[in-house]
Parts: sequence; C-alpha cells; structure tokens
Amino acid sequence: MKASEALKQAFFSLDASQRQLVVAGSAVALGGLLTCCYQVYRRRKTQNIPLGSGWWGAGQQPRSEDEKVFPFEVQTSDAEIQDLYDRIDGTRYSEPLEDAGFLYGFNSTYLKKVVYYWRHKFDWKKQVAILNQYPHFKTKIEGLDVHFIRVRPPHRHGQRVLPLMLVHGWPGSFYEFYRILPLLTDPRGDLAFEVICPSIPGYGFSEAPHKQGFNSLAAARIFHKLMERLGFSEYYLQGGDWGSLITTNMAQMKPECVRGLHLNMLNGKHRGFGVLFAMMFGNYLPWLFGFTREDVKRLFGSKGFLERNFYELLRESGYFHIQATKPDTTGCGLNNSPVGLAAYILEKFSTWTDFSNRDLEDGGLERKFSLDDLLTNIMIYWITGSIVSSMRFYKENMENRPDHIAGVFVPTGLAAFPNEIMHVPQVWAQDRYRNISSYSYMPRGGHFAAFEEPQLLADDLRKFVGKVEKSG
Amino acid sequence: MYTEILLALVLGGVIYFLLQRSKKHQLKSEDGWWGVGNPPEREGDVSIRPYTVQTDDEELEDLYRRIDQTRPTSSLEDSQFNYGFNSHCLQKVVSYWRHDFDWRRQVEKLNKYPHYKTNIEGIDVHYVHARPTNLPEGVTAVPLLMVHGWPGSFYEFYGMIPLLTEPSNPGDTVFEVVCPSIPGYGFSEAPHKKGFDSVCAARVFHKLMKRLGFRQFCTHGGDWGWLVTTNMAQLEPQIVRGMHLNFAPPALLGLTTVLSLLLGRRFPKLFGFDDVDVQHIYPVFQNLVVETIKESGYLHIQATKPDTVGRGLNDSPVGLAAYILEKFSTWTDRDFRNLDDGGLTRKFSMDDLLTNVMIYWTSGCIVSSMRFYKENFSKLEQPHSKMPVHVPTGFACFPNELVHTPKLWVEQKYRQLKTFTRMARGGHFSAMEEPLLMAQDIQNFVKTLKKE
Repeated sequence: MKASEALKQAFFSLDASQRQLVVAGSAVALGGLLTCCYQVYRRRKTQNIPLGSGWWGAGQQPRSEDEKVFPFEVQTSDAEIQDLYDRIDGTRYSEPLEDAGFLYGFNSTYLKKVVYYWRHKFDWKKQVAILNQYPHFKTKIEGLDVHFIRVRPPHRHGQRVLPLMLVHGWPGSFYEFYRILPLLTDPRGDLAFEVICPSIPGYGFSEAPHKQGFNSLAAARIFHKLMERLGFSEYYLQGGDWGSLITTNMAQMKPECVRGLHLNMLNGKHRGFGVLFAMMFGNYLPWLFGFTREDVKRLFGSKGFLERNFYELLRESGYFHIQATKPDTTGCGLNNSPVGLAAYILEKFSTWTDFSNRDLEDGGLERKFSLDDLLTNIMIYWITGSIVSSMRFYKENMENRPDHIAGVFVPTGLAAFPNEIMHVPQVWAQDRYRNISSYSYMPRGGHFAAFEEPQLLADDLRKFVGKVEKSG
Repeated sequence: MYTEILLALVLGGVIYFLLQRSKKHQLKSEDGWWGVGNPPEREGDVSIRPYTVQTDDEELEDLYRRIDQTRPTSSLEDSQFNYGFNSHCLQKVVSYWRHDFDWRRQVEKLNKYPHYKTNIEGIDVHYVHARPTNLPEGVTAVPLLMVHGWPGSFYEFYGMIPLLTEPSNPGDTVFEVVCPSIPGYGFSEAPHKKGFDSVCAARVFHKLMKRLGFRQFCTHGGDWGWLVTTNMAQLEPQIVRGMHLNFAPPALLGLTTVLSLLLGRRFPKLFGFDDVDVQHIYPVFQNLVVETIKESGYLHIQATKPDTVGRGLNDSPVGLAAYILEKFSTWTDRDFRNLDDGGLTRKFSMDDLLTNVMIYWTSGCIVSSMRFYKENFSKLEQPHSKMPVHVPTGFACFPNELVHTPKLWVEQKYRQLKTFTRMARGGHFSAMEEPLLMAQDIQNFVKTLKKE
C-alpha cells in the first residue's frame, strides 16, 4: 500500500469528530506555524512596564489629595438586615428541570436550602464581629477610597517579619484570606508575615472608579502606592484570579520593590504551534514538550486535551464573556435580588472548586466550605452594592496592553492546584515568568485555594519565601 | 499572514466539503413528554380552552414595591450604552413604568385578539388566534403561523396582525394568524424535562396546527422563530406551504460562503454582493468576529448557565427590564450603543417595550426562556443544521439585522428561495419596528407563491 493510500485509509477510518480535529488541527497549524515564527522574532524583550498615572474620582481632579490613613470598621444595622430579609422573602423561584444537578447553573431546589439557612440561621452581626477581628483602614489614592486590612504578628524576639500583600479576585474578597491569615501571622517559628489584604477598587469596601479604563495596571499602581504610603519599600505578593494578574503587573512595574511573587492561578498566555502540537501529541510524547507525568494527567484528564481545556473552558466562561461586554446590564438585577446574587456567586464556588460538582444536586458546595463563610463573602458584595463595579473590571481588562509581552523577572513561586480551571505546566509558565524558584503540584484544591486549602497554600508560600530569603 | 490563515481555512473547507456528501435526509423527530413525572397511560387532554390575560391589584403592588426598592448603580462617566444599559436612561424608563405605564390598559390591548391554551406533550401551549372579520365571498384565509424569539414574545406581532387579517389593498391575501408562545416563554408552560430544543418546539407546533384543523399553512419567523419554523419545514415539508424569514444566520461555513468571504470584496458581482452587503461584511474581522464577540455574551452565558443568570432577573423587575431592553436598543441599531438613551424610543413606544417586559415578568418565564439556548447549543453540531430546506422561502433582508446574510448565503440552506427583498430600514425586531414593511413583504412572498 502506498503511503498516500495508507494515509487516506487511516483518515477515513477515524470517526467524524476525530476527522474534524485533524482537519482543524492541520489548517490552524499552518497559521500557527507562521504566527510562531513571528512571535519568536518578537520574543519577550521588555523588562519593565511603565508606571503610568490615573485619577478615578467623580468629576474633576482636585489639586491635592488627602494622604491620611483612616481606621475603618465594618458596620451593619437592623434596617439593613430587615431589608435583606424582606427581599429574600419576596423571591420568586423557578422550578429546576428534573435531574439537572448543577448543569444548567445553580439548582433551585438546593438554592432554597441555602436561602433558608441565610434567612433563619445565618447571624450577620456575629460575622461582622469576625470581620472586624482584624484592623481595617481606608486611604485615598488616585481619587478613590481604598480599603484594606493590616495584620501584624505579635512581636516576638528573634522572629523575622516580612511584609506580604494578598490580592483577591472575583467573586471573592479580602475575606477569602481569613482562614490563611492566622497561619501566616503565627507567632511560632522563625518567620512570620505582616499581611496587607486590600480590596480591589470596585470590590467590597473599596470605592468604585467613576471613570472608564480602570484595569489591572491601574490597580497594580494603586497597590504599590498603598505599600509605599504604609512605609514598605520591599514586600512579597501573593494572588489568585484577578489577584494573580494584578500582582504580576506589580512585579512588572516595580521589580525592585517585589522580593518575591507567589501565585496560585496562572495566566496561560502561550501562543505558537507548541500548543497545537502539544495538544495532539503531548499525551504520547510528553518529554518532547517538557511535560511531567503530572502535567499530562492534568492537561489531558480522562477525556482528552480538547475536552478538558477547550470545551470545558467554553462551558464555564459565559460569565466572563457577558461581564467583559455588558457588565452594567448583567449586574443590575443582582444588585436588587440577594438570592440572585447568591446563586450567581455561589455557582462559582461550586464549579471552580471541582468541575464534577456540576453533576451533584447540591453542587458539592458544603464539602469544602462552610455556609457561614460563603454567605459572609456574598454579604460583602450585597451590603456594598459592588457587584456591577466588580464586573466592570472584566471589560476594562480586555484592551491590548504592554504587559502582555513583558516578562516577569522577580523570583516567582507557583502553586498548581489540581482542580484549578486551567492547568499551566511549568514549561508554559516559563514563557512569561523567567525566574521560577519553585513550582509545586498541590495534592488537592481548586480555584479558591486560600479559602479551601489554607494550610497547603501557607506551607507552599513559606517554602517559597524561605528559598528566596536563603538565596538572598 | 492573514492570507496564509485564510488559505489554510480554504484547504480545510475543501476537505470538509468533500466529506459532506450532500445528504437529502428528512429530519426525524421522536415524540416527547415534558410534563412533571411520568407520562400518563392514556392520551392527555386535547381540548382547546379559551384564555384571558389577567392582572390584579396585588400583582401591580408587588411590582411597584420591587421597583421602589431598587438599588441603582451609577454608570461610568460618558459610557453611554457601551457597558450595557445606562443607569440614567434606566432611571427614566423605570420612572415611566412606575408612574405612567398603565398595565391594565395594556392587558386589555393584549386581549383584543382571542387567546387559547391547549395541552400538547404534557405542557400547556398558549397561542393567539386572530381570524379575519371581513372575509369576501368565496375566499379562504391563508393560515399563517408566526413564531417569536428571545427576548420577544407573541406581542411583537400585534402591529402586523391587522395588516394581515384585514389588508386594505383588495389584491392582498387575507390571512388567519396563529401566534403561539414557545414553551417556556410567556403564557406557555415551561418544559419540566431536559432536552426541549427547537426541533421539539417545531414538532409541538405541528401538532398544534393539526389540532386546529390546518392541513397546510405558511410560516413566518425571526430570531428563534427562524429556527423553529425552519425545523418545521424540515420535519414536514409537504405541510409547510411557504416560509417567510427575516433572520437566517448561516449555521455552517460551507465552501461557497468561505470563498465569498475571501473574494467578495474584490469580486462582489461574482457573488451577488451589492454595496450594502460589502459594507456590512467587510472588514470581516471587525464586522463578523469582533462585533459578534461584543454582542454574544448573553448567548454564551444563557447557553451554559441559564438557571444562574436568570435567577436574579425573576426577582428584580428593573434588572429584567435592563437585561431585555438592552437588546431592543443594541439589536435595532448598533450605533445606539453610543447614545445616552440607547435610542430606545426612536423606533418603539415605551408602552410596547414595557408590555413585552411585563409578559416576561408576570409569567416569571425568564429562566425557562434562557434554557432554550442551552438546549439548542448542547451539541455543537445538530443534524438539522446540516440539512437544507426545500420548502419555498421568502427572505426579508433588514439593513440593521444582527447577522447580515446576503442572498448567496441564504440560498446555501434554503434551496427554494423565491423572494429576497432588501428592506429600506429596520433591525432585529423588525416585526415590531416596521410592521408595515414586513406585512408588505409577506404579501409579496405569498403572491409569488400563488403564481406558481
């Protein structure tokens, strides 16, 4: 049999979807090949990205700005709680489809259970006291009141205290870090952290920008200014979700200030035919692409690369698409319906912790989180009415920016959690993060790592920092 | 670089085309049952019950209370409708809704035509049946089924019904109009089981027309109505006498379509493109890719998480209004995104817009209406999307439609395209926006049908 005959037979013996894959793959590979050549030519050369400037307050910018740091306390009132209850009581539920689990989104039957707890058992006043256990502050930067908590470990002779900023994402908040904070400020051991957890402007108790264009670069610059105002010249950064992008930008803007960068979610900004061929052959020739066995397991899963990385992402990115295009429309209803807000946010805490939660009637929500913790996070969005401004961040970050090409040269530690939305192997991360000190495969955990597996994350962070400090 | 990519696409397209040997299969569909629990042993109730749209003080007070409780969020300075529905405009709309909109009067208007409900495959299907009053001697009215889409309803056709049932021109055809609500929309019961897609809706509507005694009829559809009527024509082509559409996005990129995209700018005449076509299609990346991405966020989230996204909208009338009316702004004319008021009242009256929103609000159907997206996109490739349509078709091409489809593209699927009219003006909700133009085109199409 001639080679062409054999090829033809082999091609037609595949089933329809595989054939399409080969066709699509070859067609795009051609384009990809040329793109790759172009990219290799334009390889990441830039070191720093410009700091830039901005002002986000309402109306005209005043001549000077108040730089004081004010203490702040989370408060609530009976009226606020009663309004919440009235709205909850007025919820108009829709019947879920039979046997749908969480496949169509948050299951109505289970939602009723969560809401019942919220209405009758959840104690918001108690949670507010828990929130206030750490000191909160606000300070005006670039026209906006930026909220943050600052936690100092109790003074212990001989203990090194390093400054650390933890940045949250969507639909999270500074509250996600409340379980990891005690582990980082632990007075035992020879290393502790002084932790700053800000709220991204537009989220929680930080004022929302009034002008267009507030993206992660602006947030990064504001957080640098915050640290400067608090008297820090060098610090560590940790982030996931948007926090990952913001802290990465911070490291790109002022690498001299960032001692180390630790991330639990990576931005997969990889192009070129490497990804294409990895998709087709990575399962069989992992060493050719620099994949470890663990990488293969996480990239290909049980259903293949396309299913695990492309189709899953397509299924789960509807929120991203609509928030990046019509945030004002999407958030409007959620700011008036606490149950709607809860369903929208908690769906992420279910699905992004483990994709297989979609098949469960209760979305597996309470397996890793307590309802009190989940509802406290939601209450932060509810009482501040920040859902719309939090969604705008998606649209603002869509434009092409310098940081897409710039590399990251500060010591970086990466924690790869198995149930994160997308797995990025070290060999791909190196494309952007040029100074990876540690890359750890975490044994369990999903997207909300700090909230779900605080001990694992804290241990990895300490290990990374220890390494960086030793090499000095 | 782009030429290489496009060449690769052509290569891929050629291989794909060769693999897709033309199949003239008829669309098949199995019976379904969408009620709660298991289907009953004996055949269900087939009676047709008259239905009246109703409202009461309690419903209105609940609405007003929720409106009063709204917690607005200010839009960014100078952002118009580029981030979605503008907060200042929303405030004005809501103020009208709260103080000037007369729902009771609108309900009377809705009841101007007789409504009915009948149980098909386990769920109550609602429809409006408008019969002509001044039928001349010896003339039978042509039955016409009109199917709406999202976020519309049967109400979109109210401007057209008198023009079709009582045409002023003596040479015009007299129609008997049936406007159903797709199950899960408005006053039709929502399916309780998974899997209710456009083919199921098509089958249900065939049963409806049979139950009403029609052996042949014409159809009209836009948005989802396009797909449902197309499926109806694919399921039972002998019954659908002719189908009229104002929306027909190409489901697959066939070889001809791809070639026309590549070469249409240089050789427009070769593909039958005129200036309007060229203007809407090129530059391809901006007009077809970027614009689609900008406007399809709702489609993406509704096709994946309908229960989540609809949840808040069923509690917040203002949220529901913003979500729905944003489409009536942007899909009527893309440039309305740059207007502070979204150009809402340029083509529609606030009363009409809010009546449509009230249909979604009072029936609480927003979640089930969104599920239709998921059901229809659950498999990226549906058998019906590959099958051509051999029923005589008429297409009204409105200039501001969401997806511009030149004649060549429509012909790829609708093999018996009898009329293709370039309409003078109008966007996606053309039935509601330009009822006269649409009614005229339907008349024109049916006349062409009769000639043959």
